[in-house]
Amino acid sequence: MIDNGLLVQMLMGALLGLSVYLPLAAGQLSLATPAFYAVGGTLAALLSTRWSALGATANGGFPVPSLLLEMALGGVLAGLLALLVGRLVLRLQGIYLAIATIALVEIVRVAILNLPFTGGAVGIFAIPQPFDTAAGYLLPALALLALAGWLCQRLELMPLGRAMAAIRHDELAASCMGLDTTQVKLTAFVLSAMLAGSTGALAAHFLNTWNARQGSFDTSITTLAFVVLGGSRTWLGPVVGGLLLTALPELLRPVGDVRLVLFGLVILLGPVLAPQGLVTPALLERLGGWSLRSGASRKTENAQP
Amino acid sequence: MIETLLQLLLNGAASGGVYALVALGYTLVFSVLGVINFAQGALFSVGGYLTFLLMGGKIGVNGALPGWGLPGGLPFWLALLVAAAGSGLVGLLVERVAFAPLRRRNAEPLLALITSLGAGVVVVNLLQLLMGAEGYAFPHGTDALGGLPGALMIAGARIRTIQLLLLLTSAGAVLALSLWLERSKGGRALRAVAEDATTAQLLGINSEAMVRLAFFLSGALAGLGGGLIGVSVSLPGPYFGIGYGLKGLAVLVLGGLGSVPGAIAGGLLMGLAEALVPSAASGWRDALAFAILFAVLLLRPSGLLGRRTVEKV
Repeated sequence: MIDNGLLVQMLMGALLGLSVYLPLAAGQLSLATPAFYAVGGTLAALLSTRWSALGATANGGFPVPSLLLEMALGGVLAGLLALLVGRLVLRLQGIYLAIATIALVEIVRVAILNLPFTGGAVGIFAIPQPFDTAAGYLLPALALLALAGWLCQRLELMPLGRAMAAIRHDELAASCMGLDTTQVKLTAFVLSAMLAGSTGALAAHFLNTWNARQGSFDTSITTLAFVVLGGSRTWLGPVVGGLLLTALPELLRPVGDVRLVLFGLVILLGPVLAPQGLVTPALLERLGGWSLRSGASRKTENAQP
Repeated sequence: MIETLLQLLLNGAASGGVYALVALGYTLVFSVLGVINFAQGALFSVGGYLTFLLMGGKIGVNGALPGWGLPGGLPFWLALLVAAAGSGLVGLLVERVAFAPLRRRNAEPLLALITSLGAGVVVVNLLQLLMGAEGYAFPHGTDALGGLPGALMIAGARIRTIQLLLLLTSAGAVLALSLWLERSKGGRALRAVAEDATTAQLLGINSEAMVRLAFFLSGALAGLGGGLIGVSVSLPGPYFGIGYGLKGLAVLVLGGLGSVPGAIAGGLLMGLAEALVPSAASGWRDALAFAILFAVLLLRPSGLLGRRTVEKV
């Protein structure tokens, strides 16, 4: 039931889930992930179809190093955009930030739809393929996910990750402690954007066509659902949420038209039934004592029973 | 030249009125619970489709019951009112399922955002199951407007009657709601709950009932907007309300979260601004609302008419 194509989509879902998770780990609800995803994807689609130096062949082939270059460039461009926008929007809090990021998604969507070089409603098609089969995409997607997961895991030990946790817990207290909260939030926002941008660049090749619909309000909803359902207390939550929820509509295909209703029900009932999400630190503790918290923090916990 | 301008302004004011309806719906719920009901756009769709069915429209070939329709057909005004009430009831249901369980356990407000989005997804897709994804034009076109002519000549400008009705109806609804909130006992009770739910409860106001009332009214406003837009343009598919829901969100912020006059002024302003976009750049019109929203959030986060709130320090 799960073929390689779906597996690649699931991995990309997990990546987008992590992209929503990063600002949230610093207490900032940003729905901007689809905007950065769209920026990365559009860049890759444009570069690979217009810039012959990347080595697209006449029969639709594409060198793998060029793909990696595009993923890097997509991440950089999305990161730069986030740096620019983040300075402005991160002054906002709570629901205002959420709404501002929805606005960003819509502006980017309309821009991609109307810019003279992005192909309008049809978009950019016949994006060259670096791999012959869907299975080929598994490796870059897995590698990117591993990199992102490693980064998130490392964050728990790094000053940046601790500062993010402090802001999530109490932003006012964190800033009173002398943390440069704006800088920390901005870093999380930029990291989130870079991840979404790189994922977009990969997705553009995988999907073969790219248009404005790829990054819309719908995507904001689904990616947010990844995090809420999976849980936002550890980085594994959004990964599990992204994998499961991307697979769900496909697995529900036998029930036909009802599948989107069921998808909505999952989003509707998930937070009620499991407010912390599926993956909680407590669950990970129980699963063979694998704690995501650092050894140091566990030691301090043991010291104060 | 003057005629074109008049036409433009009236068009702008008409769609602005609908934006104001949606934004007022958000405002009611936000002022009482401090959360945003993201299912608002779905309720807008429900209003449009209910009006269509009540006026005697038949379900198309892709629907669950092709060719089926309600017997008879109500006149436009009655259908609009019943459809608004119906959307209000769906709004009540959304409150029961998406908001009440979280409120009972004092969950994070962020979660209500997700559950209401989920409720919206369910409603829109149920609508799609029932009616199919195709677009619908209203049964008798604009003839259904009680024998009114399709267009009027005002000061030499040809004005579509429906545009005028759109403006008048939303103005009427907004006015009635504002008066009710301001003057009536129920309206005062609602505002008391918005101010401070605990104190209101101690004063003998049933705050749960007021929350339900806010959701009903908010759903009814969205439904009214959906019906009006449906009749004046068409129903392009069950998702059409989502776009209006998002625009309403922009209006809400433009006017200031929780401010009733702000929602009205913001709606009109947004409608007029969109109408003045030259047709050569019409593709960018949809981004205008959000560009304005963005600018407002950065320059004046409390909105044009909102109160500046002081956070705990």
